[in-house]
Amino acid sequence: MTSITLNNVSLVYRLFEKLTLSAPGRRRSALGGNIAKSGTKQVVQALDGVSFELKAGDRLGLVGPNGAGKTTLLKVLYGIYQPSGGTISIAGKVDALFNIHIGFRPEATGRRNIVLRGLISGWTAAEIEEKMEEIIDFSELGDFIDLPFKAYSQGMAARLAFAAATTLEPEILLMDEWIGAGDASFQEKAKRRMDELAEKAGIIVLASHDDALIQRVCTKKLTLRGGRVESLA
Amino acid sequence: MIAALNGAFDDISKAMRLHRVWIALAHEDIGDQHRRTTLGPLWMLVNYFAFVGTFAFVFVTKDASNPSYIAYVAIGMLVWFYLTETITMSVSLFQREASFIQGTTLPLFVYVMRLTMQCIIRAGYSLAGCVLILLLSGYGINTNWLLSLLGLLLLILATPAFVVVFAFLGAFFPDSEFIVGNLMRVGMFFTPVFWVYSGQEGVQEYAYHWNPFTYFLEGVREPITAGIFPGHSLAVTGYFCLGLWAIALLLLGLYRKRIVFLI
Ligand SMILES: Nc1ncnc2c1ncn2[C@@H]1O[C@H](COP(=O)(O)OP(=O)(O)OP(=O)(O)O)[C@@H](O)[C@H]1O
Ligand SMILES: [Mg+2]
Repeated sequence: MTSITLNNVSLVYRLFEKLTLSAPGRRRSALGGNIAKSGTKQVVQALDGVSFELKAGDRLGLVGPNGAGKTTLLKVLYGIYQPSGGTISIAGKVDALFNIHIGFRPEATGRRNIVLRGLISGWTAAEIEEKMEEIIDFSELGDFIDLPFKAYSQGMAARLAFAAATTLEPEILLMDEWIGAGDASFQEKAKRRMDELAEKAGIIVLASHDDALIQRVCTKKLTLRGGRVESLA
Repeated sequence: MIAALNGAFDDISKAMRLHRVWIALAHEDIGDQHRRTTLGPLWMLVNYFAFVGTFAFVFVTKDASNPSYIAYVAIGMLVWFYLTETITMSVSLFQREASFIQGTTLPLFVYVMRLTMQCIIRAGYSLAGCVLILLLSGYGINTNWLLSLLGLLLLILATPAFVVVFAFLGAFFPDSEFIVGNLMRVGMFFTPVFWVYSGQEGVQEYAYHWNPFTYFLEGVREPITAGIFPGHSLAVTGYFCLGLWAIALLLLGLYRKRIVFLI
């Protein structure tokens, strides 16, 4: 059964450059995590005691001001960052869409990029071949699929990335912000696709500043501020 | 210690299951490096011929009676270029892969194998050039070439370990990129790539006996130029490989989760 459980998770980034900060208490920012000192090193506390639980079918919207820790939390869920404290347990095959340019090679064609993306997610060449037409259809890219990825507009790149990631049927899908790049008709399509995914007992976590998008797509909303959970509803 | 080794083997076995990924990416890399050039990867061959040709032309006067010098340089350059390229590219490996490392959960060893593969493909072109030079300078293919393959095999087995060690070095100590780059450039003169050691004393004696690269070179070269079984060289490279792999496994086991925070 697909599920995500976080218990008191924290994460600190260490800064390696020597910093001179202005006198304490002066430029406190409402944004970002806490800048603190640990031994001789400066650290940024990006997540601080985050706990929550998601079960099959949940669609969580992550909101909060810039620097609240949304991207960091998604990367912890994906397994890129090992938390500095706390425990995390995840059941299910996870896929993530962070930044359109991650995991795509600008020089390769869209088609080749789909193959690479599939291989990276652990699919065999035959399985990818089988899904290829479906991905191209869903993205509506047509002949553009055989042009190099660098020749795509942002929205076209977003369409391809979304089509590839969701057709490969992840059980847990993490998304950071950017599907906003697609046009209205694609967003409508993307929403339907996410509904299907959630109905198949998947979990979706979507970070966004777009309240309307969160309202439309998500069933739960987690507000982060300065790395702490402010509310969960 | 045991946990570290388990972690390392886990990373490696996951990467091996994803072999299609690094094979595909390595091919993309080679393609990207030569995109829009007319000769494409054949430039590597041209580059190799230019170097061997220059050295053979400049130094052959003294040994004009000795055609084996050209073979000596040709094999020396093949191995030396392979080692230099692998090591200098390793130091900046994780920085170059930053966007993948920060955006996907591929095991680190995938990047190691990607670079290994890329270096082997590139060396394949030089190897073809080397074989051509050997044939043209009158070395027929014979059983000694098989002994040479043993040396090449050890070299390839050592490559992922070299990559891991230097990639971690580069990630933890960014200065090392410049230090290693310079050392490898100077190193060519301290390694018997184009000079022949015949019992001289002083610097050359130390450079010959205390330089691990000497043995990698001789393991491949001696069977063909001297016609002997390079037992000593193979033994030294063998032990060197084991040591290097031990360090590589420890680094991978202990620090692989830290890399993403360093780049
Ligand atoms: N590589 C890094 N090194 C140091 N600090 C970092 C690093 N990445 C993020 N941070 C810090 O971690 C905190 C959380 O950043 P994060 O990117 O998770 O915010 P976010 O909620 O995604 O913001 P946004 O809405 O702007 O995308 C911020 O204070 C940021 O300065
Ligand atoms: Mg963000």
